[in-house]
Amino acid sequence: MKLHHKGFLLVTISKSGGIWDQQLIEKVFAEYDESGDFREKTIRIALDELAAAGLIKRIENKLETMNGKAKLLFKYQVSDFGITRMVDTGLLLP
Amino acid sequence: MNNAALKQALHKHYARNQRWGFMWALWTAILWGAWYVPGTALWSEHPYVDISANQQSLRLAATAVMTWIHAITVFLFLLLWNLVLGKVKDYGRTMVRFSKISKWYALASLCGGPLAIFGSYMAMGFVGPVFAAISSLFYPVIGAIIARLWYKEKISKRAAIGMCIIIFGGMVIYGPSLFGEMDASNPNAWLGYVGGIMSAIGWGTEGAVAGRAMDVSDPDVGIHCRFSFEILFWGLLILPFLATFTDLPIKALIVDTFTHSKAMLWIVLAAACHAYCYTAFYKSFSLIGVGRGEAIGNLYAVFALIFIAAFTLQLPQWYFIVGLFLTVLGSFVMFSESAESVAELRDNSDAKVYS
Repeated sequence: MKLHHKGFLLVTISKSGGIWDQQLIEKVFAEYDESGDFREKTIRIALDELAAAGLIKRIENKLETMNGKAKLLFKYQVSDFGITRMVDTGLLLP
Repeated sequence: MNNAALKQALHKHYARNQRWGFMWALWTAILWGAWYVPGTALWSEHPYVDISANQQSLRLAATAVMTWIHAITVFLFLLLWNLVLGKVKDYGRTMVRFSKISKWYALASLCGGPLAIFGSYMAMGFVGPVFAAISSLFYPVIGAIIARLWYKEKISKRAAIGMCIIIFGGMVIYGPSLFGEMDASNPNAWLGYVGGIMSAIGWGTEGAVAGRAMDVSDPDVGIHCRFSFEILFWGLLILPFLATFTDLPIKALIVDTFTHSKAMLWIVLAAACHAYCYTAFYKSFSLIGVGRGEAIGNLYAVFALIFIAAFTLQLPQWYFIVGLFLTVLGSFVMFSESAESVAELRDNSDAKVYS
């Protein structure tokens, strides 16, 4: 069975040294066969929640213009606490 | 893009998340306060109104049945929510990860269901709605302490002061009414007082326990998992045990509730309030943390009194205005924390592996 969304986000971020949210969203869309603005916003909220909880950290940020609108983008990395929580919850083997 | 524009965009981002987090907590308060009206009205419908106050065991059994049917209807409202949001598959994927994730929602359901909601219905039925609302007011202090000790959640001085003001405000609202309701001629009132204590401990611990799973799962899915387990605990363990090993008429109570449309109407209304209050509750935890989410949720005391007054047509007393001022003041003290400090809830510098 596929991982739940936050599990997939954590595993994907942990496999990279740092990944931009836009790339993450593309991976999520590919994994779950999803698309659209609503799903993208849902994923961004999930990332905000993971960051607020200290599981991932924002290591870079930038402002880019996309479709004529300024969009704030973040690059994420799993924190040490995030690794601990992933091991606790079976998302990562110790 | 220049630095100033980026800084502004960052501040707006954190401020928006903080606003959403506190907004979810405020909706928790509104819907939770509203819940006490149908929750108390249910006691006035068949089959519950037929049980006299001194039939303690039967009343407690009735409370258990009421809580179970309430959990089922809450589950249905949550299913509707997750269907609309497209999160039902995520719910399934989270439920099956029992040994590492959803077991915490199962434990949270024991704290929230058989302890907190059952305790609240006991308090409403044996004492009254005003008492039931006030007796739960201390739950955020329990939640904040557990969250601090267990997973190092930060409580700033300002947040702590805000929580104290909110709780004091709640006590001012209800203190005088409380003494009016603590009637010596009601010998079974002690069960209501016990229920009140149960609800405070239950809700305080539920938040902290659910937090163990909520950081790695979606809060909308989490609350759905929590109520799924509550239905199973009542339906597969507690109620069958009572039906088998006691002479309490559990089956009759269940059938009578489902076949009395007025009872079901109050349960559905109570469940609608409760389902979405809980959704908002869990969502606030994920953005602003358990301690702050629970403290703002404490404004339910204000809304409970407003709704009870609106439905009973009895105007609140002067101490309500004092209490209202204090609870609103406390929430503003908490809200005025800088958005950036809310953005990072955990003290990561000394985070330890859970024991």
